[in-house]
Amino acid sequence: MYLPDFDYIAAATVVKASRLLGSLGPEAKLIAGGTDVLPMLKQGTLATKTLISINRLSELKNISFEKGKGHIIGALATHNEVMKSPVLQEKYMSVCETAHRMANNQIRNIGTIGGNISNAVPSADFPPILIALGATVTLQNSSGSRTLPLEGFFMGPRQSVIAQDEILTEIVIPENGFSGSTYHKFGLRRSGALAVVGVAVAVAMEGNICKDACIVLGAVAPTPMRAKEAEALLRGKEVSDALLEKAGKLAAAASNPITDIRGSEEYRRDMVRVFTRRCLRKAMDNGHV
Amino acid sequence: MMEGKFSVIGKSKPRIDGRVKVTGQAKYTGDLKLSNMLVGKILTSPHAHAMILKIDTTEAQRQPGVKAVITHEDVPDLKYGISPARWDENIFCIDKVRFVGDKVAAVAAIDEETVYKALALIKVDYELLPAVFDPIEALQEGAPLVHEQCPGNVNTEIHQNFGDVEKAFAEAYYVRTDTFVGQRTYQCPIEPHSAISVWEGGKLTVYSSTQSPHYFQYYIARQFGLKMGDVRVIKPHMGGGFGGKLEPTGLEFAGAALAMRTGRPVKMFYDRHEMFAHNRGRHKQIMKVTTGVDKHGKILGVHADFIMDGGAYTSLGVATAYYAGAMLPLTYEYENYKFDMIRAYTNLPACGAQRGHGHPQPRYAYECHLDMLAKDLGMDPLELRLINTRKPNTVTPNDFRVNSCELEACLKKAKEISGWEEKRKNLSSGKGIGLAVGSFVTGAGYPIYRTDLPQAAAMIKVNEDGTSATLYTGAVDIGQGSDTILCQMAAEAMGFTYEQMKIVSADTETTPHDFGAYASRQTLMSGAAVKQAGEEVKQQVIEMASMMLQTDYRDLECREGVIWRKTDPSVTITYAAVARDFFVRKGPLVGKGSYTPPKLGGTFKGAPVGTSPAYSFCAQISQVDIDEETGEIKVEHVWDVHDCGTVINPALLHGQVHGALFMGMGEAVWEEVVFDDKGKILNANLGEYRLPTALDMPNITSELVFSPEPEPAGPWGVKEVGEGSTIPTMGCYSNAIYDAMGVRVYSLPLSYEKVWRALKEKREHEQQK
Repeated sequence: MYLPDFDYIAAATVVKASRLLGSLGPEAKLIAGGTDVLPMLKQGTLATKTLISINRLSELKNISFEKGKGHIIGALATHNEVMKSPVLQEKYMSVCETAHRMANNQIRNIGTIGGNISNAVPSADFPPILIALGATVTLQNSSGSRTLPLEGFFMGPRQSVIAQDEILTEIVIPENGFSGSTYHKFGLRRSGALAVVGVAVAVAMEGNICKDACIVLGAVAPTPMRAKEAEALLRGKEVSDALLEKAGKLAAAASNPITDIRGSEEYRRDMVRVFTRRCLRKAMDNGHV
Repeated sequence: MMEGKFSVIGKSKPRIDGRVKVTGQAKYTGDLKLSNMLVGKILTSPHAHAMILKIDTTEAQRQPGVKAVITHEDVPDLKYGISPARWDENIFCIDKVRFVGDKVAAVAAIDEETVYKALALIKVDYELLPAVFDPIEALQEGAPLVHEQCPGNVNTEIHQNFGDVEKAFAEAYYVRTDTFVGQRTYQCPIEPHSAISVWEGGKLTVYSSTQSPHYFQYYIARQFGLKMGDVRVIKPHMGGGFGGKLEPTGLEFAGAALAMRTGRPVKMFYDRHEMFAHNRGRHKQIMKVTTGVDKHGKILGVHADFIMDGGAYTSLGVATAYYAGAMLPLTYEYENYKFDMIRAYTNLPACGAQRGHGHPQPRYAYECHLDMLAKDLGMDPLELRLINTRKPNTVTPNDFRVNSCELEACLKKAKEISGWEEKRKNLSSGKGIGLAVGSFVTGAGYPIYRTDLPQAAAMIKVNEDGTSATLYTGAVDIGQGSDTILCQMAAEAMGFTYEQMKIVSADTETTPHDFGAYASRQTLMSGAAVKQAGEEVKQQVIEMASMMLQTDYRDLECREGVIWRKTDPSVTITYAAVARDFFVRKGPLVGKGSYTPPKLGGTFKGAPVGTSPAYSFCAQISQVDIDEETGEIKVEHVWDVHDCGTVINPALLHGQVHGALFMGMGEAVWEEVVFDDKGKILNANLGEYRLPTALDMPNITSELVFSPEPEPAGPWGVKEVGEGSTIPTMGCYSNAIYDAMGVRVYSLPLSYEKVWRALKEKREHEQQK
């Protein structure tokens, strides 16, 4: 396997990158960390004539908290930068842990959160936990920007609402009432394994009453999906093991997994049940972990 | 200095290549750059089974920078393989391709980029043929024929019968049969295969990442009609082989042809995907085992009835097929043994030798089967094994002579250090403890091709001023540390110091012949030659010292570079002084040695496979924690107790145990090469072909037991360790899973999903009751 020929342009600004993407059309592809784009080029599953790099745009690396807005994560923050961010660790250890369990250290050092989202791979680890926490994404082009909920971003495997000239620049986790959140990537070994099933939950607890819950499943549908029946079941209820098991069953029933070399549909569905229940319990008991 | 039986062996001396490896100075084949060197690549088949109608290389030839494009028309059409009856491979396919990855053509060009572009420009017209991917289907009437000359796709058929198994079963108190399935796995050495061929003045030099420079020299000379003396194979530093680099890889042949055609050095290599496609990894085996026991649990007879998927070519698979059954009777004593095997051709990559050669899967099957027998009999599985354990100085039903054998001691020690009895009773829910044993050859009794060459030879030259000595050996360090331990053995035998040893190894021109790194042979076989060479040096040194000190040679002792008078240890002289004097007076101080095993084994068909001068034994116990909802397997601890004879370097030995366990564990739980319905590999990368990671590894206790009488066949009583430790692991884990959850998974790998499914079926079954 060998990289095909392509032109490489390092864009100086987001606007310039957007203009290039717009003028070159579908034959141009944005590249950040390259942990997804380069293997696809080598395997011949992505044909592109020009790669437009945004790696020099260090302003897109910031991770910060702004009162009234929430936690802001620049799209170029690497997985390791997300994992090590004191701002995130203070509030959303669940997001840091998600980063920590991704791929391996080499990839975590170079892969970016923006890439993990905009590739729209069904098994991606960041989208479920970010959707559960109500995150928004900002898409920018040369004429302006728009912000939308991450939940509405995905259209299908490797398909999203992002336009050819748009660049994902930042992710915002707004201030919210969730008391706990967690993500579990169920992979087939402890490191360097893609999710067979990913389950993220965010919960708002008052004593033993679940005031609100958001459950997002990864790798079991063409896009990350909410398990809304399970969420509805939990709202306003006193939590018991039986209730959580029932929520797990509803989530499993709502999921739409496929059979592939990593697992069968049947297995994936049952793992949704198990990990929905376990994640709910963990987030209810331990906060943002 | 003068205390203890040994001065140099038995100590964890640092690796002789450690410093250059950790500093990055060590050069592997892929690192080498020769002046004017071209880069070469092989074009492989995208189809599992197809006729080649036409190969058009015109466009590729025209590509600027391309120096040669070759197909079968440009190379000798002589078939090669492991044995004359089964020579079935050509350098390039002639009429048809037999698997996705079969070799069709090759290009040499000025750089890698140009090579890939040229490969894409070679036009091959194929006519697709029906293909077969399953060994059982391949053996059915009417299945597509992988090789026209081989009816029924039967590559190897074995029927061995010792004693009277039918009678044993008829007289048995209890007879049980089980069927298990092993899977295709791949060795995944970290260093990819590569070879650099240089054709200069009628001589071909090949630098290659190979486990056996000698076999490559033999095969290359044979293919191209060269004298062996005109072919030199050199093995630079190497990053693993595990059996996958023991036979020609195609890179040497194509590279040699391209180097001859262009007159320039050609570097050939496989990328990770191509390594998987070339394969030569573990066979898939379908294993039916039957055992009859008396009412005490004594085994009366065993029948092993196996089918294996060989892939498209023989590779080393005939040997694998024989090994699969040959080694089963090593661990338990019984008289009656029957072994049936068919190795089928399929349109998948050819399988070959992988660590434990043919034996780990049958051992998995048999150790699971024994545990189930024990349960039927209401016996502790460890007690059942103790009743049947092989004893020293016995002969197996298939005529293997076993000298030292401490399997019983291995079992007892494993039982003690693991807390077996306590844990069998009191482990908490979800946890279990399991046991399996293993045994392996310390070198194959016979070489791969018929020859009367000695197995190993060595030469030691003490350098002229006497301050260092160089060991010349054909033995091959593929990462396991043979250069280190052979220098320790040389120093011990010479009475010299390890720190002043140098080594030149694995170069067919400068080092004496050795068959290489496979079948766990080098410590015993290469070591025997090295010991002899060292003793020859020592004798000459003592004779010279006797002259210099005016002392009877019988009164002189020599160790760690010093010679002294036994009756008056204050009279000493240094090795260096004696060696220097020797050189001045007599010329080079050289010792040489060679090793040929005694005649081994019986006379029946296939009798040589499995013969060995000595056998290692081991017992392994593992403790697992199973997630009953997900089937996830966490291995908490493994206790490995090995009878591997005298230890040369404890650190390297335990490193082998850890590495073998890592590999056995991968095959037990994760690893499997998976294909789509067109014969294309779905997981030819290290992301989806899951080797264990550091986080998956358990705690390991690696212990040894020693025979009261050292193994007589090995120098200082050494035996193997490198492959033996990989053998029990799969059965050991399966038995631990059973102990934890009461479910049995009948096929490898014991994946999370399979365990989950078995648990689900068990629950459903219990609910029906």
